[in-house]
Amino acid sequence: MLLKDIRDYQILFLASFLVLGIGTRDWTLRPELIAVAIATSLSTQLVLSLILGRWSFGNNKAQSLNLRSALITSLGLSLLLRADHWTTMAIAVASAIASKFIFRVGEKHFFNPGNFGIICALIFTGDAWVSPGQWGEEWWYGLVFAGTGGMVLQRIGRWDTTAAFLGAYSLLEAIRNLWLGWTWDVYWHRLMSGSLLLFALFMITDPRSMPNSRIGRVIWAMCIAGLTFILRNYFFLSTAVFWALFILAPLTILIDFLWSAPRFSWQRGDEETREYTEVRTEASFDGNFRGNSKEEFFPSAPGASSVQ
Amino acid sequence: MKFFRFLRPLLLAIVIVLCFAPRAWAFCGFYVAKADTKLYNKASQVVIARNGDRTVLTMANDFQGEVKDFAMVVPVPTVLQKEQVRVTEPKIIERLDAFSAPRLVEYFDSDPCAPLYEYDRPLALPAPAASNESAGARGRDASLGVTVEARFNVGEYDIVILSAKESGGLETWLQRNGYKIPRGAKQLLKPYVRSSMKFFVAKVNLDKFEKSGYQFLRPLQISYQSPRFMLPIRLGMINATTEQDLIVYILSAEGQAEITNYRTVKIPSDANIPVFVKNEFGEFYKSMFQTVYTKEDKKVGFLEYAWDMSNCDPCSADPLTPEELKQAGVFWLDDNSPNNVTVPPNFRRPLPRSDVFISRLHVRYTRDKFPEDLIFQQTGNRESFQGRYVLQHPFQGELKCQAGREYKRSLPKRFEQEAQTLAKLTNWNIQDIRNKMKLSLSNLRLSWWENFLSWFGLY
Repeated sequence: MLLKDIRDYQILFLASFLVLGIGTRDWTLRPELIAVAIATSLSTQLVLSLILGRWSFGNNKAQSLNLRSALITSLGLSLLLRADHWTTMAIAVASAIASKFIFRVGEKHFFNPGNFGIICALIFTGDAWVSPGQWGEEWWYGLVFAGTGGMVLQRIGRWDTTAAFLGAYSLLEAIRNLWLGWTWDVYWHRLMSGSLLLFALFMITDPRSMPNSRIGRVIWAMCIAGLTFILRNYFFLSTAVFWALFILAPLTILIDFLWSAPRFSWQRGDEETREYTEVRTEASFDGNFRGNSKEEFFPSAPGASSVQ
Repeated sequence: MKFFRFLRPLLLAIVIVLCFAPRAWAFCGFYVAKADTKLYNKASQVVIARNGDRTVLTMANDFQGEVKDFAMVVPVPTVLQKEQVRVTEPKIIERLDAFSAPRLVEYFDSDPCAPLYEYDRPLALPAPAASNESAGARGRDASLGVTVEARFNVGEYDIVILSAKESGGLETWLQRNGYKIPRGAKQLLKPYVRSSMKFFVAKVNLDKFEKSGYQFLRPLQISYQSPRFMLPIRLGMINATTEQDLIVYILSAEGQAEITNYRTVKIPSDANIPVFVKNEFGEFYKSMFQTVYTKEDKKVGFLEYAWDMSNCDPCSADPLTPEELKQAGVFWLDDNSPNNVTVPPNFRRPLPRSDVFISRLHVRYTRDKFPEDLIFQQTGNRESFQGRYVLQHPFQGELKCQAGREYKRSLPKRFEQEAQTLAKLTNWNIQDIRNKMKLSLSNLRLSWWENFLSWFGLY
């Protein structure tokens, strides 16, 4: 069922951004690279799910293939990563998907897949790059991103991460602007970067690889903001924001250990906010709680969740 | 019947291949003219050669006033010693300008009645590199002063490298020592002082200048090592009332360079325009640039050329020789040993290519739309791009055959298309364009009775 899973909205938005980008913004977007990205992500996800599904014992729940998540990863990488050769894009996407299966603690993968793919491509291939200036600073882009991103976030209740990240980062940049003595238009110009907003609304908010508890998420987001600020202004990295997320990703595990909470699941919805997404059509509320599966209505213990 | 099942997909495949196949003869046209920086009133030109963290920055000097009034203050990331500062020849910047300028090319339609042996003209081959010599200048060393990190003379310039604790003090020092810096500079110097940047301050040594016999001030070239890849433009905006043009030539070992804190847009290219533009190419390009600049709300930088420096197609100037490249600041060409060149790990067989890639960025900036200094990055993008505008000369001879008449009939539509393209690019009045075209191609239009007869298929 389309548009029942919240990820369908994300796919729709990312796809329309890509179309918008190709249609209006004169980027170095190449449709064949996008095709490569999508194909690689779906096939890698398929292969790895099947292989690892066969190896895991005692897990008799139906393994969903989670192709939607793979598609989201590939669309995100197409938007952010640029490459000269298709092999670079393939490597980025394959490593992104593989990182979900390889880098896990317990049942949870702690690297954001899209982010991992970008960093892998930047390190291991010679012709990958990110263009922070590709979006331009027009206000309506900001609004478009904020609007749609907010809609996505509202549905899964992770606005706190975005707010914490943007709030902390803006504050640090404001202090620096005051210290340097620039006028305030320089400050706004620094902040109105489409890439920064895209990162804050769509990348850092991947609910499956961030800390589970609210207080943990806020702390984690503020740490990322701080590291981004340092990398951007003292190490002069234009891709600071991606490196910050990559370096601090393992911190998720520590934070989860310190503040535990149930993990997010696409099917179940978030325990804290009690918002349930509709994955299947109306379960029969005939008083017998005979839905499609018992797990739909009885949340299981923290940490045990479906493979993603 | 089985055969026909395969026929349809086969036909479809053939059609697809034909539609998307690259043009069999990728001839880029005969070079006609270029739109170089002489078009612009006061364009600053800067060459940045960068590899890793090491940068060589060359600043052209187009100062027009009294030589004794000249003073240049440039924030630089590190202290520079005299070995790191040179004076170069303005010719090298002109060469880069000519090589990378947007160009006008022309094609000549062949006789539609003659049998088809087209393209018997020689292709525009890339010019072979010739040898050349370079020259440099050295100065004596002397140092004085309280916050003066270095003071020396290079060519006709007296150079001082300053570090300051406070921008007010810096401004006072500069004024007291005879550097005519504009008012309001203190506020703009503060961010650089606070970012721990040093100041490269140059003044003309009048004796040396007279002895040198030069009419104009020569470009200054500084080399330094710093992770900062930026160009401070805010100081230049102090008292500017109009838009200022800046052309940056970025020479990189990796590929295209782009601006990271503003959008970089490619200028419109590969457009067919009417033939009369041949005499007005400069005006055309100025109008076109102004139009696209305004359309983008005046807040982007433009890419005018991105190419591997070993070749060009079509060439508006000869490619630079290795000596000339060294003069321009390229310092990594000698270091071809594996230890020195940081070759990024690559899974593909490396394609034969030179190690120098040029990106020509044209930024027209004003204080309100460009509040931040430009920050660049190199990318691995080796895609080529050039500003190229195409004239297609129609065949002017006798047209006696059926194909010739069809050709003549197709011309008005093509001319109209070219006129529309020109009007869209430059915002010129479409009627003026049409009038100018009529003048230049008057003998090609069908007379009224030829038009009349053609309706009946009799002509």
